[in-house]
Amino acid sequence: MQEQTNEMELKDRLSLIESMIAEGRRTTESWGWSFVLWGVAYYVAIAWANWGHSGLAWPVTMIAASTLTGVMIGRKGRNRPATTMGRAIASIWIALGVSMFILFLSMSIGGKLESPQIFVAVAAAMLGMANAASGMILKWKPQLACAVVWWATAVFASFGSEEQSSIAFLVALFFCQIVFGLYGMVRDTRKRNPGVSHA
Amino acid sequence: MPELPELNPIIHGKLRLALLSLLSGVVEAEFTWLRAKTGSTDGNLGAQLTKLEEAGYVAVEKKFVQRKPQTLYRMTETGRQALTEYVQALKQLLGGAI
Repeated sequence: MQEQTNEMELKDRLSLIESMIAEGRRTTESWGWSFVLWGVAYYVAIAWANWGHSGLAWPVTMIAASTLTGVMIGRKGRNRPATTMGRAIASIWIALGVSMFILFLSMSIGGKLESPQIFVAVAAAMLGMANAASGMILKWKPQLACAVVWWATAVFASFGSEEQSSIAFLVALFFCQIVFGLYGMVRDTRKRNPGVSHA
Repeated sequence: MPELPELNPIIHGKLRLALLSLLSGVVEAEFTWLRAKTGSTDGNLGAQLTKLEEAGYVAVEKKFVQRKPQTLYRMTETGRQALTEYVQALKQLLGGAI
C-alpha cells in the first residue's frame, strides 16, 4: 500500500514537471489577437485604397496597426516572462513588418507597384515565410498550414489575373489571419490554470 | 542490487518543483506571473522562492519599471543541473512504472 502511494506521488511529481514546463512554453502562443488585428487592418487598407482612392490608405493603416500592436503588447505582456522562443518569434514578425513596410512604401513611391499581382505575390511569399518559421519553432501544424496557403497564394498570383490575385489574397487573409487568429484566441482562453499551492 | 537514488529534498516540495519547472522554460519571470501560474499565495510563494534562492537554484533581480517595483526570477545553471538530476532520479525510482 505504502509502495503504491509512493509510486503515485512520484508519478504526480513527474506530471507536474511536464505540465509546468508546458505552461511556461504556452506563453509564446497567445498571439491570436495580433493575427485578427492585422487581418482587419489589411481589409481596411484594401477597402480604403480601392474605394477611397487614397494613396495614404496603406501607410496610415499600417502605422495605426503597428501602434495598436505596440500598445497591446505593452498591456498584455506586462507580467509575461521572457522566453527565448518568444523572442525568436517576435524577431521574425518585427523583421517581416519592417521589411514589408520599407519595400512596399518604396515601391509605391517609386511607381513600381503598378500591378496588384506583384504586391500579392511578394506579400504572400513573405507572410508564408514568417508563418512557416513561427510554425516550425512552435511545432504548430495549423500555422504551417497557413504558410502553405500563403505560398500557394504567391504562386497563384504569379499566374492569375489582377482580379483573381486580389480574390486569392482576400481569401488567404480571411483564413490565415482572421480564422487562424480567432482559433489562436479560443485556444488561449481554453488554457486552464493548474494551481499548485502546496510547498 | 543497485542502490536507489535519493530525491533532492529542496526540489521535491510540490511548489518548489513547480517553480523550478516553470523557470526552466523561460529566460526570466516576474513574481506575479509565477503566482498566477501556481495559484499560490504571496507569502508561501515568497518563502519557497527564498529557499530556492538560498540553495543557489534561482537568481533574483529587483528593479523599477515605470516607477513600479518588479522582481524577476531566473533559473541558475546549478538549478538546471539539480532539476535534471532530480528528473533522472525520479525516472530511476519509477523504473518500469513509466
